[in-house]
Amino acid sequence: MADKTDTTRRAILQASLGAGLGLAGLSALWVAGGLKPKKEVTPESEPPKAGDRFVVAQGPDKGKLITAEMLPLEGPFVLAWPKDPKTGVVKNAERNNLAMLIRFNPDEYDEKTRRYTDRGVAAFSAICTHLGCTVSQWIADKKVFLCPCHKGQYDPRHGAQVIGGPPPRPLPMLPVKVENGEVVAAGGFLSPVGPMAGFALPRSEG
Amino acid sequence: MSVYKWLDERLDLDRLNKKFMRKAFPVHHSFFLGEITLFSFITLVLTGIFLTFGYEPSSRLVKHAGEQLPAAYVSVLYIDSLPFGRVLRSAHHWAAHIMVAAAFLHMLRILISGAYKKPREINWLLGLLLLGATVVTAFVGYSLPYDAFSVTATQIGYGIGKSIPYVGDWIAQVMFGGEYPTLHSIPRLYALHVLWLPLLLMALIGLHMLIMIKQKHTQPKYAEEVAPGKILGVPMAPMQLSVMTLLFLLYLGVLFILAGAIIAHPVEVYGPPTTATPALKPDWYFLWIYGILQIIPSSWKVPLPFGAEITSEFIGGVLIPGILGLVALLLPFLDNRKTKMRYVELPSHHPMRTSVTVGLLFFFFVATFAGWKQELHLTNGVLWMMLIFVPLAAWFVTYVLMRQIYGPKE
Repeated sequence: MADKTDTTRRAILQASLGAGLGLAGLSALWVAGGLKPKKEVTPESEPPKAGDRFVVAQGPDKGKLITAEMLPLEGPFVLAWPKDPKTGVVKNAERNNLAMLIRFNPDEYDEKTRRYTDRGVAAFSAICTHLGCTVSQWIADKKVFLCPCHKGQYDPRHGAQVIGGPPPRPLPMLPVKVENGEVVAAGGFLSPVGPMAGFALPRSEG
Repeated sequence: MSVYKWLDERLDLDRLNKKFMRKAFPVHHSFFLGEITLFSFITLVLTGIFLTFGYEPSSRLVKHAGEQLPAAYVSVLYIDSLPFGRVLRSAHHWAAHIMVAAAFLHMLRILISGAYKKPREINWLLGLLLLGATVVTAFVGYSLPYDAFSVTATQIGYGIGKSIPYVGDWIAQVMFGGEYPTLHSIPRLYALHVLWLPLLLMALIGLHMLIMIKQKHTQPKYAEEVAPGKILGVPMAPMQLSVMTLLFLLYLGVLFILAGAIIAHPVEVYGPPTTATPALKPDWYFLWIYGILQIIPSSWKVPLPFGAEITSEFIGGVLIPGILGLVALLLPFLDNRKTKMRYVELPSHHPMRTSVTVGLLFFFFVATFAGWKQELHLTNGVLWMMLIFVPLAAWFVTYVLMRQIYGPKE
């Protein structure tokens, strides 16, 4: 009889210990979830949208509104931040908003790419899809973008597809229009910007 | 010595002396590599304390000389302006280089002398963890100055972390404080660099040395001939401690000459973070990964269930280093000896192990060389051929030569 009571008592103690540890573990997960900071979206970090203009991102012309004429034909590209024309906010608080604007003769683009250009002006994300550096260099004789970090090359005339180096996918395009000479966004980026997480839900666009 | 007597009455120092301070240290020059690693760690902690007093862990923009600059960057300029500030910061950086190099050479010494075998498997594993934690701490360290170099390097680290299937996004965001760079990034990386990673290193170093004292050093080969069956070496106090003190002072001398002559990581040369990414190469111990990342073509992808994907950046940044690490972790368990190892094995008696190690070193050299792919106008094809065949050739030639020179004994 004494044995049996002991066993029962032990079972109850073990069960409550197990339940306690389990609950403690689960609540710790809740805390651990908070370690991933929340993303705060401000007007400066909102993604580009239709109607946005572009301003020069660096150099002596920094902040200047970009017109189609400012873009040299056949490159090099100009790094640009989107700007909301209504509020005047330059959306430069989010790196992933950085775009490269470039101009070619319209017939140099392949058909799929040309759809998102206007008067030869095209816009691409400037964030390398490999490891997130800014695609900062221009190879003039090949007329392609070059990422300085691991030497990924993208061809702007063919939808910024990868023609050399390790990037896993092309740079996302941003459809543009030219209105009164100014370059205007006709929508957001067509696919996710920057390196993709190892686990990505199926993309809705692009 | 009344102070000694006073303490001895209370703490029984004589017993401590007999038990620990008489520990025999084998005399061999290759046995100093671990000590140099330890000296580097001590130097890093001391110079690091100095740096924490001047550093401001924040990437918020502050006004400095008429410019809006990140607070961390400005605070590094401030540290540089203190008396000897720039030299101490440079010494911190140089000591990190030396620590990584000494830890790696220490591991090589253990590897080619077979000292990882039974009963020292646990210390081999702890040593590998220490090497890994050292490299991670060094990497997190160069995110802190928040200049153009540091932000680019950290960005790449973030991308590599993120590329791990399923869990990468979460891991990278927890470590880097969201989608790097955010305002959370620097405080978090700072806490990791000055608190949690050093604590981990201290705990691992403590364990590593306790186990070493408990198990005793492997004995050099000559001890087997001089005094078979006996532990040969000089006692910790006073002899080994004197040698260690001398070596530490020599270490500090060399370190500060280096640090003063060549200022490591001059932030004002890199400048504050820019919109465009500067073309740069990582520190030397990451160059092999940098090289491999460049020669993996974009076509290397493996789809996984639930929308995940193994991408080129995961293969180069995580998978290849991970496989090498895993092989290293498993190494002591490939050996099924029954008896405990007492004497080191001579590399010349183990041509296979020694030559495979040489082959692996050549793998690192060639992968590093691949980091100059663009400058040397080399194609992926050539570099892949080199990466596969140069280490194989190095292994084969070393093996054949060793058999020729040392004969067929194993």
